[in-house]
Amino acid sequence: MTHSTRLRIVQPGILPEAAPAVNLEDFHVWFGEAHILRGIDVGLQEYRINCIVGPSGSGKSTLIRSINRMNDEAADYSFKGAIYVNGENILDKSVNVARLRTVIGMVFQKPCVFPKSVSENVLFGIQHLKKLSRQEKLQIVEDHLKSTYLWKEVSHRLHDNAVSLSIGQQQRLCIARALAVKPKVILLDEPTSSLDPVSTRAIEDLMLELKQKYTIVFVTHNIQQAQRVADHLIFMCNGRIIEQGTKQKLFSTPEKDQTRKYLNEEYCDCE
Amino acid sequence: MSRELANGIFSAVTWIAMGLCGLILIFLLAVMIWNGIRAVDFEFLFTASRNFGAGGGIFYQMIGSLLLILFAALICFPLALGTAIFKSEYLKSARVQRLCAVLVYGLNGVPSVIFGIFGLVFFVNVLGTGISWFVGSIILAMMILPTVVLATYHSINSIPEIYRESALALGLNKWQVIAKVLLPQGIGGAITGLFLGLARAVGETAPIMFIATAFTGVEIPGSFFEPVTALPTHILALAQQAINEQALQNAWGASFVLICLVTVFSALGLWSRKKLKTVGLR
Repeated sequence: MTHSTRLRIVQPGILPEAAPAVNLEDFHVWFGEAHILRGIDVGLQEYRINCIVGPSGSGKSTLIRSINRMNDEAADYSFKGAIYVNGENILDKSVNVARLRTVIGMVFQKPCVFPKSVSENVLFGIQHLKKLSRQEKLQIVEDHLKSTYLWKEVSHRLHDNAVSLSIGQQQRLCIARALAVKPKVILLDEPTSSLDPVSTRAIEDLMLELKQKYTIVFVTHNIQQAQRVADHLIFMCNGRIIEQGTKQKLFSTPEKDQTRKYLNEEYCDCE
Repeated sequence: MSRELANGIFSAVTWIAMGLCGLILIFLLAVMIWNGIRAVDFEFLFTASRNFGAGGGIFYQMIGSLLLILFAALICFPLALGTAIFKSEYLKSARVQRLCAVLVYGLNGVPSVIFGIFGLVFFVNVLGTGISWFVGSIILAMMILPTVVLATYHSINSIPEIYRESALALGLNKWQVIAKVLLPQGIGGAITGLFLGLARAVGETAPIMFIATAFTGVEIPGSFFEPVTALPTHILALAQQAINEQALQNAWGASFVLICLVTVFSALGLWSRKKLKTVGLR
């Protein structure tokens, strides 16, 4: 990695044009005494859907939440190792965390819209980062509702309270809100686990669209879903990465028995 | 004893307990209204007291009480908001959290007369403010601080974590999360707490009687360091000369007005809880 391609999150205003790769090197996490992630080495590829699968409690969410430093908020969190985004270690103390999160956006398991109008929700992040004219605001709202296929459904009710949308629409609104901040990496932490099959499908289609522009890191416990959308698949268990590679390789010719067993039977005996 | 009988006795006891509670309140209010309402008329409400309270009305007492609690609210609210936000959002250590809770509950348990003595010693004597309504407001603010802090804390702390995380994940810093997400949703609880605190403060006698009020010869104060005359201390003074029929009558009237003020603040507290809880939703 050359110096010139660095993300420079520390310096405001200089952001990469292209979506970056994310590399974790010997990354450990502890919550108090509990050792949650144990030496993670993984490369998350740009313009791909990097899908993390594994049983409950395997550390998937902790891993994805480390990439935008959401775990920093926890009282007894500690870590070791490094996470490089375009060559810069984002765990460095000098990194401006709020700014980092504008480059690495996140959508959570449970849709959480703010009790404000649909437009205000789309603008919620971006308008705290820069001043926008009325025209720019309208444009941002329209662009991002279109890019999440919500525009047709909600264009006539932009001023309605976002809480009145269906859960599936709320989750797409959360994605629109995250995209409006113009991130380069999008973290999706089980974004469809509380949705119905139709909304789930809509979000999967959206992810396939979004990978043209962003690096996507996607956590799911649904193996069929991983099979539908993943490019790069990472299987985690008990705080470790058991195996990683292309979806085709892991589903057809996995190197480890544990991987084959989990992907076929959703059962893991790595404890 | 059969199970049915025990059950019957138990529910009867709870009914009697509740009935007694209700009766005490109804009896108090009935006596207050019966005696008080006869003393209250336009002249009573809008004229100054004369003849050591036995004549005239309670206009300046009402103004004094309202002034005291208005400034108590202005002093208390930002302090309570800051304390509650600090406790909910910045304090991570469970041990310090517990210590903070003990301190707040401890402050709540201090008898009101102690606040009065503290004000007398610290402000009036050490700082040399003299008898001052503003010192009275400070002391009342200190007294209701725990009520308002706890109400605000619970209101902010009960906002689900996902709202904080969603805002942080969009690149907002902590201050922006507090200002744009937590305060709009939590302010209703804070205002409810403030009104309930004020409902208590307006009726307090002990904290202000040594430091903020004078009985006669006081109208609207011209500076921060002058005494006022207030309803609860006026009632106390009138009750002490209860041998005079007219003074007693005026004491009932002033008590009735005081109860009305307490009721208004309590009602505002309940109203704000209902109306402002979802302030962000509108």
